[in-house]
Amino acid sequence: MPTVVRGEVQPWTDRNPAGGPALTGFLADLLPARAGRTLIAGPHDSDVLALAASRSDDVTVLLRSVSDAQALAAAQPPDGGYAVVTGSLDGLADAKPEPFDVVIAADGLDRLLGPDSAALDWPERAALLRGLAGPAALVVIGVENGFSITGLLDRRPLKDRYGDDEFRPLHDDPRRPGSAAQVNDLLGGVERRYARFGSDTLVESGVLTRTQAGFPAMRLAAAALETSDTPLLAPVADAVESAARAGMLDAVAPGWLVVLGTGGTTRTAYTATGTADLTADGWKVGDRVLPDAEDAETVLLRLAAAEDVPGFRAYAATVEPTWFDVVPGRPDGDVTPAAAWFRFRDRLIGGHHRHPWPPWMADGDDLVKTWLAMSGVEPTDEILARGREIAATLPAGRPDLRTALADDEEARTTIKEQAGHIFGLERTMRFRDQQLRTREQQLRNLRDELRRLKSGRSAQVASTLSRVARLRDPKRLAGAVKKRAKAFLLR
Amino acid sequence: MHHHNHYYGQSHILARWAGLDDQHPPRIRGYLQHGWNVGCGWNPVHEFFDGAWRYTWSDPPRRRGHTLGRRNYHVVGAPFLYLSELEPDLGTVPEQEREGTLWFLFHGWEGGGKGGKIEGDHARLISEIKETETEPVTISLYYTEFERLEVRRAYEQAGFQVICFGKRGWNYEGTDRRFLYKQLKAFRGFKRVAANRLSTAIFFGVAAGCVPAVYGDPMELEGDNPLFGGQARIARLWPEMLGKEIDLAAARATTDVELGRHHLMPPAEMRMLFDWNPRD
Repeated sequence: MPTVVRGEVQPWTDRNPAGGPALTGFLADLLPARAGRTLIAGPHDSDVLALAASRSDDVTVLLRSVSDAQALAAAQPPDGGYAVVTGSLDGLADAKPEPFDVVIAADGLDRLLGPDSAALDWPERAALLRGLAGPAALVVIGVENGFSITGLLDRRPLKDRYGDDEFRPLHDDPRRPGSAAQVNDLLGGVERRYARFGSDTLVESGVLTRTQAGFPAMRLAAAALETSDTPLLAPVADAVESAARAGMLDAVAPGWLVVLGTGGTTRTAYTATGTADLTADGWKVGDRVLPDAEDAETVLLRLAAAEDVPGFRAYAATVEPTWFDVVPGRPDGDVTPAAAWFRFRDRLIGGHHRHPWPPWMADGDDLVKTWLAMSGVEPTDEILARGREIAATLPAGRPDLRTALADDEEARTTIKEQAGHIFGLERTMRFRDQQLRTREQQLRNLRDELRRLKSGRSAQVASTLSRVARLRDPKRLAGAVKKRAKAFLLR
Repeated sequence: MHHHNHYYGQSHILARWAGLDDQHPPRIRGYLQHGWNVGCGWNPVHEFFDGAWRYTWSDPPRRRGHTLGRRNYHVVGAPFLYLSELEPDLGTVPEQEREGTLWFLFHGWEGGGKGGKIEGDHARLISEIKETETEPVTISLYYTEFERLEVRRAYEQAGFQVICFGKRGWNYEGTDRRFLYKQLKAFRGFKRVAANRLSTAIFFGVAAGCVPAVYGDPMELEGDNPLFGGQARIARLWPEMLGKEIDLAAARATTDVELGRHHLMPPAEMRMLFDWNPRD
């Protein structure tokens, strides 16, 4: 059974604990090879707990939910890995435990109190947590950013955004830090800071402030946010791009992970699939180095918006190396570019970006066929089918209100344009009818002329001469009689 | 779908480029620019159906069209350039054997009851042509002037050969499908192309290898709409194309822009753009 300190919550459970490969990978690099006492405050997943246990002599896990604590205590290995304590942060502080060498609160400071806790604001909670750490301790704290892109674009009212603070409006806290600078001021001694985009992407904050629109760091952030569960007013990708252009991407990240004290060397970025380091040569991902430059999608969207088809054509002919970053898995001949172009089409059209191609090309596969040909790939039916299948498996942007309104507006425009098209066709048919009437009149005139010619004296003379000539030639006469007899018998 | 698309057999040329029947070209779903102009690609009062696409020769008309609130543009390049690709040998002679000047008089139009005649001092223009040109001159008149005997005879009596390339047609009737073929063939035999206004023929001539010249009385067009700025604007925007001696390299560069050479597209792409592939 877990140890109980004041402030436990029951019945209660905290869902979605902090964790995942990005956080675990980051902590694996950060934590010392061997620490004495470690505190993990708040809900964290089993990988984080196992990692801490493997690097520490003694691990304490603080959970406010009694049932979560019981389940965790029951699930831990027989040889024990950590001590589970249930209760609130202030309750643990009251118990005056020995100082910890490592404190991990990657889940943040919002799920550490219960309804029986004092009304502690964010700085007070931070101070309590740091009070549990020894003077040279390594402390990791997750901080939510109220000025984040997803917060600004969240279409829910403020009161409906949080489920865990019903007993007290924790986010209505004037002392809660609202920027990275305020976090630094409040905590002091922040050694490094990582921006968190969703649960699976961490990017070093300094790199984010220096990145630009369309660069890999921005694309990492955008990709993570596009899979966010937050119901949105508008697509996050556009906002991410604007933020990157302004050098504000770190400032509008959904949250940060701040590190106080010294730890191991960490990478530039952590994702669900691995890590990456930004070097002087570019982004080192495994044994590959990718340029720290605008990606193909950004360039192509810009060329399409400028309606610069020659520029688009020239760029499409050189874009091959970037297929690898657009489509997961190993390159598969011409199928990979097909999949990449299908994905680009979906983003271009679905995102209501400006471009010079008519709707009948966008509706079917014609755009993809056009672009594939620009890339030097013959767009066969097989390549198109397989490319389409792969593209359908790639993550798509989540629905948002602005896109829904734009879809609606586009549908109205389509109706108006179709009506115009019908009007134009009717008018063309009228021209064509006129053309037919003119031709018909010409035919009638010619027929009348022919009739007049036939009934004229010279035509009659010519006819008589022809008959006489036939009579004077027995062979032709016999032939003519035979032909008429045959026609009569077959009648 | 508009009958202007058939002017000068332009639809026919594009259909041939796309590998389709060029005797009876399929309908183009939109409007095809039929002559070079200083505006959006069409005359200032041209009507457009909602949703129809606008196919311009080059990018500048597309940009100007945007300022008029028009959208749905796609730049395709001038059909004359496609014809040049389709007919690489038509009318070609060794470069040193090209001679004479093909001189285009600014022309009127059919008018449709709204005017369309040109008015100016032909005698003075003839004098200037004689003073300027050092080799034989052939005057090209559009049929609207060719059929005005007083105009045609003025040039014939001046000793020039006078020719007419045919009619562009109207409401799908009377289109000379070989109009541009005949022009291309002629251009490739001449050393110079000249006109009294910067016009389509000058750009076609330069594209076909002629040295250009633009001089003389630009004359007045009955009912001319100065909305786009007229001759003064032309002088401001294309000074390198005006005069009796023009820098050929500069003229070629401008011609490539105005005829949209970089916008030429492969046949398969054109079939998709014009919705020319069968859908059933």
